[in-house]
Amino acid sequence: MIEFTLDGRPASAQEDELLVHAAARNGVFVPTLCHDDKLDPYGGCRMCVVGVEGSSRPLPACATRVSAGMVVSTNSNVPQLRKTLTEMLLSEHLNANPGGRPNELVDLARELGAEAPLVLPDAKREPYADRNRLMGYEPDTCILCNRCVRYTQEVMQCSALSLEGRGPEARIVPTWERSWLDTECELCGGCLSVCPTGAIYEKFLEGAGVEERQLEQTKTTCTFCGVGCQIDLNVDPETKRIVKVTSKPEYVSNEGDLCVKGRFSFNFVHHPDRLTEPLVRGEDGELHPATWEAALAAAADGLKGVIRRHSAQAIGVLASARLTNEENYLIQKLARIGLGTNSVHSCEAT
Amino acid sequence: MIGSNTTEAHPVLALRIKKAVRKGATLVVADPRAIWLTKIAKRHLQLRPGSDVWLLNAIMHTILEEGLHDEAYVREHTEDFEAVREVVARYPPEEGERWTGVPAEAIRATAREYATERHAAIFYTLGITEHACGVDNIWSLANLVLMTGHLGYESTGLNALRGQNNVQGLNDSGANPTYLPGYQPVDDPVVRAKFSEAWGIEVPERAGFRLDQIMSGLHDDRIKALYLIGENPGHTEPNAHHVAEGLSKLEFLVSQDIFLSDTAERYADVVLPASSFAEKDGTFTNTERRVNRVRAAVPLPGNARGDRQIVLDLARELGCDWPEYPDAESVWNELADLCPNWFGIRYFRLEDEGLQWPVASLEDEGSRFLHEKTTARPSGRGKFHPVEYQPPIEEPDADYPFVLSTGRTLYHYNSGAMTMREDGITDKQRDPFFEISAEDASSLGVLDGDWVRLVSRRGDLQARAQVSARVFPGLVWMALHFAEAKVNWLTHDVGDPLIGTPEYKVSAVRLEVL
Ligand code: SF4
Ligand code: SF4
Ligand code: SF4
Ligand code: FES
Repeated sequence: MIEFTLDGRPASAQEDELLVHAAARNGVFVPTLCHDDKLDPYGGCRMCVVGVEGSSRPLPACATRVSAGMVVSTNSNVPQLRKTLTEMLLSEHLNANPGGRPNELVDLARELGAEAPLVLPDAKREPYADRNRLMGYEPDTCILCNRCVRYTQEVMQCSALSLEGRGPEARIVPTWERSWLDTECELCGGCLSVCPTGAIYEKFLEGAGVEERQLEQTKTTCTFCGVGCQIDLNVDPETKRIVKVTSKPEYVSNEGDLCVKGRFSFNFVHHPDRLTEPLVRGEDGELHPATWEAALAAAADGLKGVIRRHSAQAIGVLASARLTNEENYLIQKLARIGLGTNSVHSCEAT
Repeated sequence: MIGSNTTEAHPVLALRIKKAVRKGATLVVADPRAIWLTKIAKRHLQLRPGSDVWLLNAIMHTILEEGLHDEAYVREHTEDFEAVREVVARYPPEEGERWTGVPAEAIRATAREYATERHAAIFYTLGITEHACGVDNIWSLANLVLMTGHLGYESTGLNALRGQNNVQGLNDSGANPTYLPGYQPVDDPVVRAKFSEAWGIEVPERAGFRLDQIMSGLHDDRIKALYLIGENPGHTEPNAHHVAEGLSKLEFLVSQDIFLSDTAERYADVVLPASSFAEKDGTFTNTERRVNRVRAAVPLPGNARGDRQIVLDLARELGCDWPEYPDAESVWNELADLCPNWFGIRYFRLEDEGLQWPVASLEDEGSRFLHEKTTARPSGRGKFHPVEYQPPIEEPDADYPFVLSTGRTLYHYNSGAMTMREDGITDKQRDPFFEISAEDASSLGVLDGDWVRLVSRRGDLQARAQVSARVFPGLVWMALHFAEAKVNWLTHDVGDPLIGTPEYKVSAVRLEVL
């Protein structure tokens, strides 16, 4: 542990700790935009600047490490500086709220009382059409914090996205301006999840008319592989349908990261092909809708018939890795003491 | 990493591996294909499919020859070490090069790095188990881990990456012919008595059939009825044409699922509409043995019912007198009461995050790794099992000159029943494809994207060629997700003699250009 001074009071920090973390642990919240704990310190947007004695210019708290005896101030002329910065970002941020998505910059501006200058420059950045149906990008919302590109490079370790152009024309593009589908992109949606402004967004939500802040989140476990990522199913309270899947950095199994299946494969839940009625095969050899009573009776009679004609050993029960522990427990119990056979297994036994 | 295409099969776990490599960890990948991780690996051991035992024995050969094993660990915590020493002495890396295709120097270097690094872990998945010699492969890996003492502390051990979301939990909860819940053996009268008492009915003594025995039982009249819950053996089982023939002989088939599978459509007598993960409460256990909560977020469609409810309804219909089980938690509590390893796991403790079993009591915080104090065996000692190399059952020949290996891709899940219904994802990958080396493609005159017929002794299918540097000449690889080109029409169903896991990974095929 090392000692330093924070806003005139003594404070302590771990050796080499980032100032933004040390301040938070000492009860001082420094707002950030381009910073992400998952990514290497970057210090690009300067939203988190603080005064440090002995330095002629304010330093970014997200990219400065605490050293012993450091004297840090977050309250002298910093708030004014932060407000000005926010206003500058807002002025380039022409479309602050496409589709009602959460936007950290707008939240911050509200908090600081910052307002965009009255006259906005003309929209300069070209949006581009892309044939992928999952992720869209709105250049006029983007603040060029580069979190998306850094996620791709540092976490995915691929080169799917790049920052293209300079100054007012700069924007994020799939590398070589191909479609996202033709880059190394694996459609994990990680870039989308780290974007603070909603500039990269779920394309399929366009025109869905749901205010994202009103979605109901249910935390559960992804159903697609053994990593068991923790996910939030975001449900529209009116239609009771899942509209998107998100995760949070504090979830231990996956630290907020997801893959393409976990993040984007949820429409099967509401697919019209879902079975919604029991079916029983009739005399004509076809399956016909039936009531639950009839279907359950037919199932029980069929199984009992086989036990009568042969034995319980003539029945095989195949459970599934898609089912919960509780369901599998009941299924093996049913096989063993309901039907009388230990022949309960699964196609996914390995 | 051996036999694990982690970035595609366990993508988020692969992110942890990428991160470790970025922080300076050494990664060695053993896989017949140049999978993504080989890009950041220090070394890629591109072994011939099915030659894993040779490779592992040669690694152990080097370790023993150079005295790099952990003598103290072997002496204090293991038995039958000499038997392995004897066998691996016959597997020098130089000869291994001929059998595995991996240069002897790469084998030696890997052996040295693994043996001398304190925090060295092995990860494997279906690439290791889906062979006729699957159990041999695992024993070989276990021998390697034991001889170097790489277990019982952090970042070590032999880590199975479970293919699907709840494979771990499926076995844990007793959906297994040999074990009652919690790996308590059915053939142990004391265990049976305990469960019989708890359930109020005698647990049958007669051994149950394993999956492969059930499937072969379709043909020899042992099996007359199947109750399938969320399973589609007509797609996922090897030699699928043969399976279909067997299913057609059944007297009775019940299918409980969320979609009408082609198996059910053709053969089921009763189809029960069930619940997806988003419609139910319960738990899944992930590959690190963490029991995680599953929570219902949306209502069931139409008249579909939750799987728990269906099983309970059916039990009642069959005349069972069971407790009420008003919710998933009540089922879990019964399971946890009967299984010491889960005893300390209760729903209220899973609210925020899951717990890693074993959790013996309510005070126990769970176990991040196994075998901290002892091994799972009664003697408390790890047992070495000497393993000899066996060639794959079906080797390529003049008629079927290519080795076909199978696996999963990032974008789909098993038979594709769920993921093939996502337009946004199928945009990236829709048509059935197989990977072929540039050399083989050019000698056959096949271009990238061409349709080709793959023919094995058991069936044939058409898929698009994907000319790829990931496979070497003589090897083709195909994913198992495509309904119109089921790779399991081609694979054979001769499995491991001990546990019956089919050899999905090696079959012989020929290619016919269309
Ligand atoms: S798209 Fe989002 S994450 Fe990427 S630079 Fe723009 S604002 Fe930052
Ligand atoms: S979706 Fe994932 S892989 Fe694709 S660009 Fe974004 S972070 Fe990279
Ligand atoms: S999000 Fe991807 S990696 Fe995570 S559990 Fe789901 S399928 Fe596996
Ligand atoms: S958050 Fe620190 S510089 Fe952007």
